[in-house]
Amino acid sequence: MPLSRDVLWYKDAIIYQVHVRTFRDSNGDGIGDFQGLEEKLDYLQELGTNAIWLMPFFPSPLRDDGYDISDYNAVHSSYGTLEDFRKFLESAHERGIRVIIEMVLNHTSDQHPWFQESRSSQDNPRRDWYVWSDTDTRYKGARIIFLDTEKSNWAWDPVSKAFYWHRFFSHQPDLNYDNPAVREQMWNVMTFWLAMGVDGFRLDAVPYLVEREGTNCENLPETHEVLKELRRRLDEKFPGRMLLAEANQWPADLRPYFGDGDEFHMAFHFPLMPRMFMGLKLEDRKPITEILQQTPEIPPSCQWSLFLRNHDELTLEMVTDMERDYMYDSYAESKTMRLNLGIRRRLAPLLANDRRRMELMNGMLMSLPGTPIVYYGDEIGMGDNINLGDRNGVRTPMQWNGETNGGFSAAPPERLYAPLIQDPVYGYPAVNVLRQRSSEHSFLNWMERIITVRSSTAVFGRGSIEFLHPANHRILAYVRRLSNEAVLVVNNLSSTAQAVELDLRRYKGSIPIEMFGRNMFPRVGDLPYLLTLGPFQFYWFRLRRI
Amino acid sequence: MAEESFLTDDFLRQLINVGEVDILVGLPTHNNAKTIGSIVQTIQSGILSGFPRDRAVIINADGGSRDGTPDLVTGVSIDDLRPASKVEALRTLHAISTKYANSPSSVLALRTILAAAELLHAKACVVMSPESSNIEPGWISKLLSPIYREGFDLVTPTYSRHKFEGLLITNLLYPMSRALYGLRIREAYSPEFGFSGPLGTQFLGRNVWNDGTEGDGVELRFTLSAITGKYRICQSFLGEKKHVERRAADLVLALRQTVGALFSTLEPDFPVWSVVTASQPAPTTGGGQPSHLEPLRVNRKRLREMFSTGVSELESIFQSILSPDTLAELKRIAGMGEDEFYYPAELWVRTVYEFAASYQKSVISRDHIIQALAPLFRGRTFTFVTENRNASADEVENNIESLCLEFERLKPYLLQLWKSGE
Repeated sequence: MPLSRDVLWYKDAIIYQVHVRTFRDSNGDGIGDFQGLEEKLDYLQELGTNAIWLMPFFPSPLRDDGYDISDYNAVHSSYGTLEDFRKFLESAHERGIRVIIEMVLNHTSDQHPWFQESRSSQDNPRRDWYVWSDTDTRYKGARIIFLDTEKSNWAWDPVSKAFYWHRFFSHQPDLNYDNPAVREQMWNVMTFWLAMGVDGFRLDAVPYLVEREGTNCENLPETHEVLKELRRRLDEKFPGRMLLAEANQWPADLRPYFGDGDEFHMAFHFPLMPRMFMGLKLEDRKPITEILQQTPEIPPSCQWSLFLRNHDELTLEMVTDMERDYMYDSYAESKTMRLNLGIRRRLAPLLANDRRRMELMNGMLMSLPGTPIVYYGDEIGMGDNINLGDRNGVRTPMQWNGETNGGFSAAPPERLYAPLIQDPVYGYPAVNVLRQRSSEHSFLNWMERIITVRSSTAVFGRGSIEFLHPANHRILAYVRRLSNEAVLVVNNLSSTAQAVELDLRRYKGSIPIEMFGRNMFPRVGDLPYLLTLGPFQFYWFRLRRI
Repeated sequence: MAEESFLTDDFLRQLINVGEVDILVGLPTHNNAKTIGSIVQTIQSGILSGFPRDRAVIINADGGSRDGTPDLVTGVSIDDLRPASKVEALRTLHAISTKYANSPSSVLALRTILAAAELLHAKACVVMSPESSNIEPGWISKLLSPIYREGFDLVTPTYSRHKFEGLLITNLLYPMSRALYGLRIREAYSPEFGFSGPLGTQFLGRNVWNDGTEGDGVELRFTLSAITGKYRICQSFLGEKKHVERRAADLVLALRQTVGALFSTLEPDFPVWSVVTASQPAPTTGGGQPSHLEPLRVNRKRLREMFSTGVSELESIFQSILSPDTLAELKRIAGMGEDEFYYPAELWVRTVYEFAASYQKSVISRDHIIQALAPLFRGRTFTFVTENRNASADEVENNIESLCLEFERLKPYLLQLWKSGE
C-alpha cells in the first residue's frame, strides 16, 4: 500500500505510539529493536494504524528513557543500527505507514559531547551552546516541572564551576537557542533524518527553548521565532513532512504554536485528556464541553492530536487544584500511583478494566476533532506495574502471546529491560495479542473495528464539530460535518441507561445509519429525536439525506 | 381507574434529564422575582462550596407566579457567580422548574419537591425559603451536612431572633410539641429544613396530601412524622433570620398552619406521645440562638383589649371548649386593667390543652376552635412581652424554659382530658 500523496495526511492518520525497546526483541538480548519492530509492522497494519510515533531511539545514557540524547545522528546500539532503522522505515512505508520520530530540541544529555566540550572551559567554542550562569538566581519566574526530583532549574557544574540551566532533570542541560550555531546544528540533525525519509517529528518540550528574565520562560515570542524558522526550512526542503508539538499548555497558550499555519502542523491537546477521564468519572459532559469550548480555532492546515494515555504520567498540570484533587481521589487513591503532577497508570487499570468504559473512551478519542494516538498495548488493555519507578510501570514489554516472556523476547526473563506484567488480571498469559486475535469479540478486534469505521470517512479527521446541548448532561453529543457528510456522535458518560432527546431539526429528513452495524434508525423529523443508550454506550450515525 | 399523576410530563422530562442526584435543593416560590435571582445564586454558591463533587439539582416548585420567577430560577448561571465568589463547578449544576398549581400551596410545593427527591434518589435534600432575605451560602451546608455526612434524617434550623419575634413558637409550638413528643426542637415549623431521602419517601407515602389546601402546616407535620418515625433529628444554627418585607402576618392563618397542624396530629400520634414522660434535647450544631434585645415597640394595650373583647364576645364558644374553671379564670383576668393584667403560664397551658382536647372531640367546627384561640394567644403575648420587657437574652430563655416545663408538668392533664373524650 503506497503512502498517500496528500500533504495533509496527518489529518487522517491513526498514530500508534511505541518505544522500539518495548515492542519486540529480535536478537534475544532482552531489549526490543528495530528488526523486531519491523517484524510487527503487519500487526500494526492490520490494526489499521497508518503512522507510528517512535520514542527516542538515539544513543543515550538512558537516565530519562532516551530523552537524554548523547548523539542525535545514530541509533542506540541496543536497538540496532542506522541500517536497521532505514530498513524498518522502508518496510513501514511499503505498508502505507508513516514514521514520526522524536526530536528533543530543548536539551541534551550531560553526556553529549557538545555539553562535555561546553563545560570543559569558559573559552571553548561550544561554551555558549548551553545556558550558563555564575548564580542560580536568574529566571526565577520559571516553574520547576519535575517537582518530585528537582529543587531548582539551575545545577552546579563542578567542572566549569558555574551553574547551568535545565528545565527537566539536572542531567539534561538546556541548549541555548539564542546561539545561531545551536539553531543551525539542530536543523542539521533534523535534515539528517528527513533525508532518510522520516515523515515527521514530535518535537519535545518546545515551550522552553528560549529564556528571558522577568518571564516564566515558557511560550516566549523568541521561541516561536525559532520554531517558525524550522518550519520554513522544512517546507522548503521537505514538503509534506509534519511537525507535532509537545506543549503541555492551556488551549489559549497552545494556539500560537500553530501560528498562521506556519509553525506546527499538529499539537497535543493536553487539557482535553484529563477532562475526558473527569467527565467519565463525574458522568457529566461539562468538563469536556467546557475545555473544547475554550479551545480556539486553528488554521485549516493544522490539527489537534488527541490521546488517552502515553508514555508519561496522566498529566494534571492543565487542570485546576480542585480538579486535580478530584482526579487523584478518583484514579490514584494510592500515592504510589502519583508522579509529579500526574498519575502513572495505563488506560485499562485507570478504567478498572471495564470494557464498556474503555470502548467509550476510545470512541470519543476516535470521534472528537483531531488525530488519535493509540499508546502501544492499550489496544489489548495492557496493565501497568506501579512497583517500577518513575514512569517505567507503563513502559513494560508488549504482550504478544502467553508463552515465555509473552512472546516479546527469547532472552532469559531476568535479562529483559523490564519485567513483563505478571498479575492474574493484566499479566501476559491473560492479556496478549494472540489470545485476543482468536476471540472474535476481544478488545483488540473491537479496536480494529472502530479504527476501520473511523477511517471509512474523512469527516472525523477533517470535519467541523457542532455540539448538541441535550438537557441530559450525561450525554455528550455532537455532529461532525465535512461538506455534505454529517456524522452524529452520541456518548453516554453514565454507568446507567439513559434517555436523551436531541434537537436534530437541522437534519430533518435525514436517515441515521448506525456506522458499526449499518442499520437504519427512524428518520429525523420535527420532534426531538429520542434515543436510549445503555451504560457507557455510544453511537455513531451517518446522517444520510436520501 | 389509575390515579392521575400530579407531576406534569414536562417536569418528568426535566427530571429524566437530571437523573440521579446526591443533593437536592427544593425552592418553593410564588411571585418572588425581586429576590429570587440572588437567592438562587446563594444556593448555587452554597452547593458548589460545600458539595463541589456531588450531583446536585435545584427544584423550583412554583405556585403560579405571574412575575417570571421560574425563568429567573432556571436562568441563573454559575458563570455569573464565579468572579465574585471564586466558586468552581466540576459538574453540571441543574436548576429546573415546574408549576404545580395556579395558586400557591405549601402542601403541593412540598409534595412536588418530595416526589422529585424520590424519583432522583436524592440522598440529602433541603428546602429553602424564597422569603429569607439574608440567606447565606453556608446555610446549605449547615442543613445538608448532618444528613449527607453524619447520617441524620432531619435537620431543623435555629435562628437568632428578636426576643419578641416568633412568639407563637416560643409560647405554644415549641413548648407543647416538646412536652408531647419528647424532643426539644425549637423550630419544628420552619420554611427551611434538611431531610434525608428515606424520610422524604416515608412522608410522601403518608396520607396527608388529600385536599392540598393551604393551612395544613405541612412542614410541622413533616417534623412530627420524623419524630414519631424515630428518625435521627438534629438542629443547626443558621444565624439571624430576616424576611422579605411583606404585609403583616395573619394570626388566624398562622394558627391554622401551626396549631391546627399540631392539634390534628395528636389523634393519630396518640400512641406515641401518650407514653412520653419527659423531653430530651436534640443534638444541635453551630451554637445557640442568642436573642436580639434592641427596643421593639409592641402595642400591648391593643393586645389586652383584643383579649378582653374576645373573651367577652366568644364566651359561648369558650363554654364548649374550656372547662368552667379555666373559663372563669380567663373572664377574671379579662376584667383586669392593663397594669394588673397577667395571664399565668399554668392557665395558658391549661387553656391550650383544653383547646387540643376539644379539637380532638370536635365539639364545634375545628376551624372555629382554632380561630377562637387567637384572642387568648394575644392575652398570653401581652404577659410574655410584659414579663420580658427588660429581660436579658438568658432571662428570656429561662422564661421560655419555665413555660416548657409547665407544659411538661401538666401533660397528665391533657392525657386526662383526652381519655375522657374517648
